[in-house]
Amino acid sequence: MKARRSFHDILVFYTLALPAFIIILILASLLLSQLGLSIPIFSVQGLGTYMKTVWKPMYEPPPHGAYYGLLPAIWGTLVSSVIAVLLALMFTISLVVFMEEIAPKHVKEAFSTIIDLMAGLPTVLYGIWGLAFLGPLLYKNVMNSIYTYFNFIPMFSCEPLSGATVFTAGVLLSIMITPFTVALVQESYRSIPYTYKEAAWSLGMTRYEYVKLNLSMITPSIVSAILLGFGRASSETAAVTLVVGNAMNIGTCIFVPAYTISSLIANQFAEAQDFPYMLNALFAGGLILLVIGLIVNTLGVFMLRRVRF
Amino acid sequence: MRGLTRSTLIGFVLMLIVVITGALFLLGGERISQQQTQVTQTTPPPGETPVVLLGSGATFIHPQLDYWAKEFMKRYPNIRIEYNPTGSGTGQTQFMQKVVDYACSDPPLPTKRWQEARSDPRGVLQLPIILGAVVVIYNIPGFEGKLKLDGETLALIYLGEIEYWNDERIQRLNPDLKLPAQRIIAVHRSDSSGTTHVFTLFLYKASNGKWPKTLVEKAIEWPVDKTGRGLGGKGNQGVADLVQRTPYSIGYVEFAYAYIAKMQYALVKNAAGKFVDATPETIMEAAKNAFLKLPPSLEDDFNEAWEAIVFPPGENSYPITSFSFILVYKIYPKEKAEAIKKFIEFINTEGQRLIVPGYVAIPEDIRRYNLRALEFIKEG
Repeated sequence: MKARRSFHDILVFYTLALPAFIIILILASLLLSQLGLSIPIFSVQGLGTYMKTVWKPMYEPPPHGAYYGLLPAIWGTLVSSVIAVLLALMFTISLVVFMEEIAPKHVKEAFSTIIDLMAGLPTVLYGIWGLAFLGPLLYKNVMNSIYTYFNFIPMFSCEPLSGATVFTAGVLLSIMITPFTVALVQESYRSIPYTYKEAAWSLGMTRYEYVKLNLSMITPSIVSAILLGFGRASSETAAVTLVVGNAMNIGTCIFVPAYTISSLIANQFAEAQDFPYMLNALFAGGLILLVIGLIVNTLGVFMLRRVRF
Repeated sequence: MRGLTRSTLIGFVLMLIVVITGALFLLGGERISQQQTQVTQTTPPPGETPVVLLGSGATFIHPQLDYWAKEFMKRYPNIRIEYNPTGSGTGQTQFMQKVVDYACSDPPLPTKRWQEARSDPRGVLQLPIILGAVVVIYNIPGFEGKLKLDGETLALIYLGEIEYWNDERIQRLNPDLKLPAQRIIAVHRSDSSGTTHVFTLFLYKASNGKWPKTLVEKAIEWPVDKTGRGLGGKGNQGVADLVQRTPYSIGYVEFAYAYIAKMQYALVKNAAGKFVDATPETIMEAAKNAFLKLPPSLEDDFNEAWEAIVFPPGENSYPITSFSFILVYKIYPKEKAEAIKKFIEFINTEGQRLIVPGYVAIPEDIRRYNLRALEFIKEG
């Protein structure tokens, strides 16, 4: 049977559809403009834009004068985001298990409120805190000890010299994305049907075995939280710019100052138009950020859909 | 009228929201830009339309120019001076596009741009109107005195070749000090800046060939970054903040900034081989010694003069000094020609006695030199 359609139904339908289409158009235009504005740099530098470590602003256009290689910034983005999701994973699983299985009701509620609050704070606040407190703290109490005892591992092989490092950025990012990943994982932990839990108890499982079983049931959502968290971490700008050190550097050690793509754009966009092609290079950075974001978010959403009970 | 149900109403409300949002979208941009340009607005006398001179450019000169504008408008209430601190590069671009009446820039127009501007019917005049300097700041825990440094040592630090504070090459300049065996962290600007341009130009001129010419620019690839001992900060504020927070670090900031923040800065060796402190006197001394290098006419290319004031001769010249320029056209519409002439005259006479702390006035010779602009500017 066909639903009866009146004039005002149609009117409502189209007015609602309009903003929805605008959103899709915005994404499309975002992609197209990023692509369009990056094409000039690819035409002079080719894939060197993503593969080279040289960042040399000059008035003589590339490839003979200036050169804009984004590899150090891409590397910094990946490293800081990987550190962030690994730590956030640790925080997330302990928080979810604690809140769902151990904490009494009012403690759990207090935690929920605090985490929600953390998710809503302006990111630049985290940046200032990171610069003034977290960075020096990590430098004095964490990085120096790790370096002293584990310097045979290439990742920790360089002596930390200040709090502004890619490691600090990773730790700060992990704190910033944790509220988000906790929300995702907790949601799906709660959605495990009670019958499964009862069955687990009735089999005489220990608490540890029980939690392990529950976590294994929601593995796809944990993976999805990691991916979506990675997407957030890689695109964060304001806070990272303040703690990452803003130095063009690439290497295996994580105790050195570095750049991320977003901090590079934040630092250099303002006067980029003074150097030929520099603006295009920054847009190419935006493009790869967009591509990374699209890939991890699509995968993340895809994984989230695989949670079925 | 039962036909007009809730859904219709919601539909209309949504439609209204969409239309309003769309309208705001289209109008919003213009509103904001208007607000930005009206920073220094004052009320003109009734019955007269004020002549507006709109400018944009360097952030360095902004506090000083605002002060000049304020004082100038007290004397000439029917002229309004507006300034947008967009950065030197943007100021130059807007000057070339003729969307402003004047522009300020730390470096003069690059030779290529200057040629283009000069061949334009409206022409170009560049006036060095204020002096600036770059000072070297440092954070060595337990040390309060004045460090002595020279161009070569600074270049080697920023090249990453000098690694420790107690390096023999730094120690030699400071025989009385006991410098720590700690690694040096070299802080630099992460945004592009005239301060970096002046500093790298100094490193090039004063380092006996250690610092390459290709690394003289307002944004460069810092060799020290590759060693993991380089740190970037955004703006003078960012650099100063990093130096203060990072033990055993070194950095460079604008003199005006360090002066107001009462920071400790190093004595730098000048071309005559003396270690000089940055003070308004030593900075002005550098300008006096660079005066002879100014081109014969305001219409000429100023790049050579701008390079000459860095590391100039003279016993008491502070070596990392720079001019900051105002760019004006030779031809203006009738009312504007009068107004810009009055403003230029004001800046180069009375204005040089109205100097914001941390800035340095240009020497008498250069004031007279600048006043020749009044003969060039015509109505048209």
